[in-house]
Amino acid sequence: MTARALIEVEEARLSNGLTIRLVPNHSVPTVSYYTFFRVGSRNERPGITGISHLFEHMMFNGAKKYGPKEFDRVLESSGGYSNAYTSWDMTVYHEEFAAEALETVIDLESDRMRSLTISDRTLHSEREVVKEERRVRVDNEIVGLMDEELNTLIYKAHPYRWPVIGWMKDIENITRADCEAYFRTYYAPNNATLYVAGDIDPKKTLRLIRSYYGDIRPGPKPLEVIDAEPEQRGERRATLRQPAQAPSLMVGFRGPKATDEDTFALDLVQYALSVGEGSRLTRELVYTRELAVSVGLDWSWRIDPGALVFHLELKPDSDPATVEKALYEELARVAESGLSDRELEKAKNNLGAHLLRELATNSGRANALGTYELLLGHWRKGLELSERYEAITREQVRAAAAKYFDPLRRSVVTLLPSAEGQR
Amino acid sequence: MSARGRKKETTLAVQLPPFEEFDTSGGMRVVLARREPIPLVSVRLVVRAGSAVDPAGRHGLANFTARLLRRGTRSMSADAINDAVEFVGASLGAGATEDYSAVSMTLPARHLDAMLEVMGQLVREPSFPESEVETARRRVLAQLANDLDDPGLVADRALTRVLWGDHPYGHDVNGSHRDVSRFTRDEVIAFYRAHYGPKIALLVVVGAVDPSVARRAVERAFGDWRGGPSAPVELPGLHRAAGAGRVLLLDKPDQTQSQVRIGSMGLRRGAPGWIPATIMNTTLGGGFTSRLVNEIRVNRGLSYGAGSGFDGMLAGGSFSVSTFTKTESTGEIIEVALGEIARMKAKGPTARELETAKTYVAGLYPLRLETNESVAAAIAETRVYGLGDDWVTRYRERVRAVTLKDAREAAARLLPGNDPALVVVGNAAKVKKQVKRFGVVDVRSLAELE
Repeated sequence: MTARALIEVEEARLSNGLTIRLVPNHSVPTVSYYTFFRVGSRNERPGITGISHLFEHMMFNGAKKYGPKEFDRVLESSGGYSNAYTSWDMTVYHEEFAAEALETVIDLESDRMRSLTISDRTLHSEREVVKEERRVRVDNEIVGLMDEELNTLIYKAHPYRWPVIGWMKDIENITRADCEAYFRTYYAPNNATLYVAGDIDPKKTLRLIRSYYGDIRPGPKPLEVIDAEPEQRGERRATLRQPAQAPSLMVGFRGPKATDEDTFALDLVQYALSVGEGSRLTRELVYTRELAVSVGLDWSWRIDPGALVFHLELKPDSDPATVEKALYEELARVAESGLSDRELEKAKNNLGAHLLRELATNSGRANALGTYELLLGHWRKGLELSERYEAITREQVRAAAAKYFDPLRRSVVTLLPSAEGQR
Repeated sequence: MSARGRKKETTLAVQLPPFEEFDTSGGMRVVLARREPIPLVSVRLVVRAGSAVDPAGRHGLANFTARLLRRGTRSMSADAINDAVEFVGASLGAGATEDYSAVSMTLPARHLDAMLEVMGQLVREPSFPESEVETARRRVLAQLANDLDDPGLVADRALTRVLWGDHPYGHDVNGSHRDVSRFTRDEVIAFYRAHYGPKIALLVVVGAVDPSVARRAVERAFGDWRGGPSAPVELPGLHRAAGAGRVLLLDKPDQTQSQVRIGSMGLRRGAPGWIPATIMNTTLGGGFTSRLVNEIRVNRGLSYGAGSGFDGMLAGGSFSVSTFTKTESTGEIIEVALGEIARMKAKGPTARELETAKTYVAGLYPLRLETNESVAAAIAETRVYGLGDDWVTRYRERVRAVTLKDAREAAARLLPGNDPALVVVGNAAKVKKQVKRFGVVDVRSLAELE
């Protein structure tokens, strides 16, 4: 059975521009409610980096009808919970709840879209929380530190240069006025897409959404983000010194944007190289040559050109230069000869199974379909991915590897243990 | 009135998919549940021997053995196993918890026969090749070293030690540098022979399969797995935390933030009072409106995260609070957390908090049964912990039945009093004076954790 046969999506749009997608499924008596806002760190500028993420926190601090602390209290006492995430390209809120709480959730979500309260007091408190979050994810975390350094190498002009959580000084200095302007533009209904998946009656759900969101006024059209990133003309490197047990290596290559045809060939490359115990890099670098404890390749789709980022966790006695050379040898092999027929078929089988697993829960469906819509242009493109992967040839994969694993597109961060903290 | 009553009833009843069960001819219990329409299947094999039966001086052996199962069998090499599994889009995982070892697979339904065959080989006839034992050892040792760079993980592992001391639950499933260095292939084989066998194993298959077809495939793959232990090892209980009333301060001088854990003994999984304890804990440190989140994060901005929970195992369990804050506010966050524990212990939750917690837990419970993997895990868990087959179906009803009195009793009986065990990972020079008011402080370097 294909992904398409499993999913039914009803579409609507209100006159204020709010986009609505309803995905009924009655296997369990729960509903997943996602609100996607087309805003992320990509829409920021120096001085207010991290505002998208800080704002995500502010959205839980009260609005006109449901005041401070009420959002979670009302939701939890109706049998639900909420969470949110911010990425480079979007900010996403979701609630998971017992089906009978649907109207309550629509009320809560529309209330904060209509009339969020931004007070100095909550901004102050939330800023401290975000600073702690930054300390735990970046300042006291090796992978976080390296990733932050790497992005400043890969990107010179594009907002992908700074971390989604923002620079500490910017987090400290974002003002209430910054937040208010941000809310008016990016949290308006015309910049939002709802996905409601689960035990719902689509007609009734649409009626409720219309009655609660219908009077929210649209906002101004957000500014276009300009991708001013210049061409990279050679390898870029940085070395970090940090108390650590072992060195680490992070290598990024500038990649294409999500809608580029090469994106899907690179999805296959990612699987073949790094997913599973039998993947090329795991087999070669972890088991056969025992150079690394683990190897991963992050290839995340983005609106503007993204990056293929390898992270290798090394052994305390590993030599980063040797590991780096071994990694490049493997990448050169793919660039020269591509994948074998069997590797390619394996990658296709795995991506197909992955798509099915993603669609196994209401939350997974809503999140995946919304992400496809925002990054690929339409949710249906996500459901056609299996066929799309099937059609990719060995030569396409080889050509994509050759193009993107070019040393001229490369940025490298090496972390070397400083004396303190070693055993 | 009646409409509301009826609605409530249908909401409360959570159903597992209908399942059937049988024993293989070798004596392994098998549960098969059909669940459609997504054409995937989840298979979970549980053997009731985990890190609690690691031999003395060989901590980590159960997990090490489980992870080696896929690195070679009598007729397949590690590469051949990986190729067979990963080619069809299946994924395979193996490892141990304190109470059991598990091998799990998720796979496209049409490959069930072939994948059960592979899984049967891993479990029935692993070969533990010498070279794989050595490679695995070097990898685990490097991982254990690198884990010291993760302050949250260091704090969790230290708390395990502090709470359980020399009890079989008193070490991490991954073991220690010293013990893993000593493992030999013969010891792995001896552990496997002593602790793996069909009579203490359970196989659960959930997904888009015809049970009668699956039954034949299971019998083909596992039918001649025989012998092994006839019953799981019984473990003693523990009533007072080994490190009660003390503060273990692990020094990481580079840290700008302290990881904090507060712990005490709790309940074995599913013990009488387990559900009231769960509900009471939801009000203390479970949901986002809990007292700990409210006081630590919302009112004071001291941390990004704060929570508490009961961790129940077969022979006992623990209670713990977990949070972190900038170095300067380490003493303050511990004081706030201890104050909330004391307040809850003295008076229990309010009626309104209790209602919210009950609706919250009951409302979200079906989410735990949304995927084949989670249904398989729930079935395996009810069996391993002897929770009874109605555990899942009656869970929400039991949650609804928790009274204020039950919740108060749980708080009074189970929350730590004036002698919790404390673990802090951070800059000892700056933290020590902030924490000495909470008990005798024992400052250690990370290297000593091993």
